[in-house]
Order: sequence, then structure tokens, then C-alpha cells
Amino acid sequence: MITATRAKRSSLQRRGKRAALRRVNPAYVFILPTFATLFALKYYPAASAVYHSFFQWDGFTTPRFAGLANYAQLVRDDVIQISAVNIVKFIAGRSMLNLIFPLLAAKMLFHLRRRGAAYLYRVLLTAPIVIPIMVTLLLWRFIYDPYDGLLNQLLQAIGLGSLQRAWLGDFQTALYAVIGLGFPWVTGIGNAGFAFLIYLGGLQKIPREIFEAAAVDGASAARRFWRIELPMIAAQIKLILLLTIINTMESYVPVMVMTGGGPGVSSMVPGLYLYESAFAYDKFGYASAIGVAMTIVLLIVAWASNRSIKTASEVTS
Amino acid sequence: MARSRPRFGIDPAQLVLHAALSALVVLSLYPMLFTLITSVKDIHQFYHNYFGLTFPFHWGNYAEAWEAIGGYITNSLIVAASAVAIIVAFATLSAYAFARFDFFAKELLFMALLALIMIPDMITLVPTFLVLRTLGFLDNLAALVAVYVSGGQAVSIFILRQFFASIPAELIDAARIDGASETQVLGRIVLPLSKSVLVTVALMNALTVWNDYIWPLVTLSDTRLWTVTLGLVGFYERFAGMAAWGPLFAGYVIASIPLILFISVSMRSFIADLTSGAVKA
Repeated sequence: MITATRAKRSSLQRRGKRAALRRVNPAYVFILPTFATLFALKYYPAASAVYHSFFQWDGFTTPRFAGLANYAQLVRDDVIQISAVNIVKFIAGRSMLNLIFPLLAAKMLFHLRRRGAAYLYRVLLTAPIVIPIMVTLLLWRFIYDPYDGLLNQLLQAIGLGSLQRAWLGDFQTALYAVIGLGFPWVTGIGNAGFAFLIYLGGLQKIPREIFEAAAVDGASAARRFWRIELPMIAAQIKLILLLTIINTMESYVPVMVMTGGGPGVSSMVPGLYLYESAFAYDKFGYASAIGVAMTIVLLIVAWASNRSIKTASEVTS
Repeated sequence: MARSRPRFGIDPAQLVLHAALSALVVLSLYPMLFTLITSVKDIHQFYHNYFGLTFPFHWGNYAEAWEAIGGYITNSLIVAASAVAIIVAFATLSAYAFARFDFFAKELLFMALLALIMIPDMITLVPTFLVLRTLGFLDNLAALVAVYVSGGQAVSIFILRQFFASIPAELIDAARIDGASETQVLGRIVLPLSKSVLVTVALMNALTVWNDYIWPLVTLSDTRLWTVTLGLVGFYERFAGMAAWGPLFAGYVIASIPLILFISVSMRSFIADLTSGAVKA
């Protein structure tokens, strides 16, 4: 080390600054742009959020230290409780949809004997991925529209007009309408759009000998599914579940665009409440506390589901 | 799979699969078909024949839609193209450093990068907004690009690092012995071998940026700077009340085209790369 430094220093004197620059490990030059951006727009803001979660602050005047007051309010806040229940329903609903329907489609496609047809179905079923998410959301807002919407018009057309309602404006249905958008759920929104392809890839990797052995043993189709296919794609299922849980927990744009959390706060979710606390009510300290709490819950959930899903798949396989 | 099946004739089980899959395809694609049909209807055709195709087509809807959201699409194109280019450039440099160099605090810095994948965007939303406001960078498309660059780094670096590490070291050492500088090794050897993974990373980030709603909403109050997601919501609020579904749906078609073009072009290069065997080195 010492000789290296000494050599570096003497070279500095001999060949000037250019040579000295060349002696700096180029790796630091390579990672500099990344970390400069990340420091300004990720690390500093994250630290700032934790710091300001202990302050009462409207974003303009000097922050007033409030200790744990924001967190105490968080526990008592009715809207937070509604949001928490809603997001749990959201996660449960989305996990089921992303698990069942893409898997069902992938399994059917996998058992198709004609390769050409299978390719065609695959392309057509994944095509909706190219539609911008906002277009999908607004399209579903139209589908749920009380007057001109496709859903109510369809109900009318098949003689079930009595079931018509303002799907997004009804306390009973608003949240479930947002959760259930994207029927028939083979290609989900965002990352979930790839669930179908991921399951299909998993099924195709199962060694053929296993199926042949099962056929020799006379296993039924149901048995083949529960004993072979499902355990063999446990890794893919786990990946989709984890992605769905984490993405859903953070997501609030669908609610924001379709119901705005309403009617009332009946479809409110934590992310939207954070947004509103900061940008509608200027409660930046409180919003920071919501963000910190959400991060902690997210880390715990990610850790716990990673663990429990792993043990579950170890048991079944 | 190794089931006995009739050599000729129709297998009923296969028939059921075809029927079920066709039904799923129809149901999945129906909203898009409905969008296309409605995009060329005027208001009378919409109410008179809700489900069916009607004539004549009203192409004027597309002109009206372009009038309403064309500017936003241009803004989104500028933002997405710059953000993706910068993300890929920065991430390539960092990933190469993490894959090929030893340096002080390398592990620590990489952990710091991975931590970002676990930290939700939510927590940084408010403070990042305040950073931008303090610096006077609200209503600034360059600042919006910077936000996307910070958001796209972690996952991109992670994917690229894995790929760069898989390139045989002999290839790189040979170039170094021949006197190539680090930038030459990167530009002449590593990048040409990594075309397909770079396209994948670009595609991933392009999707994220094109679809993002929250950052433009928070940082852009000047409607002339709005991106396509903001523009679409504004368009909906304005036109849905008037039941102007034709122009609105024409707008959805227009807003989808850039993404569809980009995905089909990059998929082709992706597949071409795989078939030419360039990545098998």
C-alpha cells in the first residue's frame, strides 16, 4: 500500500495531473454518474423522509419537531384503517387472479398438441401487454360507466338489467370493481402481464420422462396436475406471488384514476392516502410517516412471504 | 402427454382445450376490438348501434384526438427516449464496473444498489418532489428524466452486471493485452456482445416511463409539458362528460401506437440477435 501510494505520488510529480487521473481506478469513474443521480434522488430523499416523519411540516414553513406524534396519529387514523383493510383485500384478490387465470391458460396451452395453434394462442393472449396501462385503466373506467359502459349495456342486452349499477360509484362495489379489472385476467396489468409466460416457461421445463412415467402408472389428469405440474412450477408460482404482493401493496394509480378513493373513502388505499396527505392537505410530515410505515410493512411482508412460501414449496415437493 | 390417442379423427379433450382457449382469446381481445370499432363512430352511431360496426367510418375522430393529445405524445416521446438512453448508458458503465473491476467498497455499494429494489417509490415521492421544488426544477422535463434515471438504475444494473460477468474473461484479457483501453474494451467487445440484453433493459424501462402517471402529475403543472398519461386522463375528464366516446377511443389507439411500434421493433432485433448466434460467444 505504502509503495503504491509513494509510486502514485512520484508519478504525480513527474507526469502531472493527467497521469494521476489515469491511475484512479476507472471503476469509480464508471459508477460516478449512477451514484450521483441516486444520491440526489433516492438516498437523500429516503433519509429525508425518515427524518421528517418526526416533524409537523406543511412543506413551506420551518418543520416543528413532533416526536412520535405522526406515528401515534397513524395508529388512530380511521382512513388508515380503511386503507389497510382495502389493501389486504386488494392483495388477496390480485394474488388469486394472477395465480389462477394465467396458470389455467398456460396449462391448457401446454397440453395443446398442435404447436402452430399453441403459438397463435400464445401471441394473442399476450398481445394486451402492448397496451399502455393508462389506456387499460381508462377503458375499464368506461366499461364500468353507469350509462354508456360496456358492463351495464351487456347486462341490459342479456336481460339482466336489474343488476345494473354505478360500479365505481357504489360503496358496495367500487373497491371490487378496481380489483377485478382486466377480465379474463390472463394478461394482467404491468408486471403481472408476464405471469402467463412465466408459468408456461415453467411447465415447458418439466422433463418429459416424468409425464411418461405418470402415464405408465395410470395417473389421472387431476393427479398429474396436483402431484407433478404444480410442485414442479412452485418456483414460478412463488415468483408471481411475491411480485404481485409487493407491486399491489405499492400500487394506487388504478384506484386514483378509477375512483379517486371514493365514494367517500371506501376504496382508499395507503399509497393514495399518502399522496393526498402531502399534495392535497400539505401534511408533509404525516405523509412521510405513512411512507416510512409502508416501507417497514413491505419489508416485513416480503421477508415473511419469501420464507413461508419457500417452506410451503419444500413441503409439497 | 404420452396418452393414447386416435390416429385419425378428433380428440374430444383437445377440442375442449381449443374451445376454452379461443374463448379466453376472444374475451381478452374484445375490449380492444370494441375500442377500434367505437373509435370510428360518431355519437349517433354509438347510441344507435352500441356493439356493432357502423358505416361510414368517422376518421375525423382521429384528427380530433390528435389535436387533443398529440402534443402530450411528443412530450412523452422526448422524455422516454432521453430517459431510456441515459438509463442504459449509466447502467452499462456501472454494471461493467461491478462485473469486471475490483475496487474499494464494491460489495457495500452493490448492496446499497440492491436495497433500492426493496425500497418502495412511495417513501421517496414527497422528499424527491421537495428536492426538485427547492432546486426550481418543477415544470421541467429534464428533471422528470432525471427522476426516471434514478428509478431505473438498480434493476438495469443488476440485469446487465449478470450478463457482463458471463462474457468469457479471455476475450477481454486478449483485448487488454493488445493494448485496448477500458473504454475500447467496453465499446468494441462487451457492448456488441450484449445487444439483446441491452434491448431488453431498454424495453423494460421504456414501458415503465411511458406508463408512469405519478411523477408527471406531481411535477408538471404546465399543461404544455404534460406527458401522455396525464393527457389521457385530462382528455377523459373533458370528453367523457360530453359522451364523445369516438374521439376518446381514437385517442387510446393513437396513444398505444408508439409502444406497439417500439415493442415490435425491439422484439425483432431481440429475435434476430438470438438466431444469429452473436450472444453464444
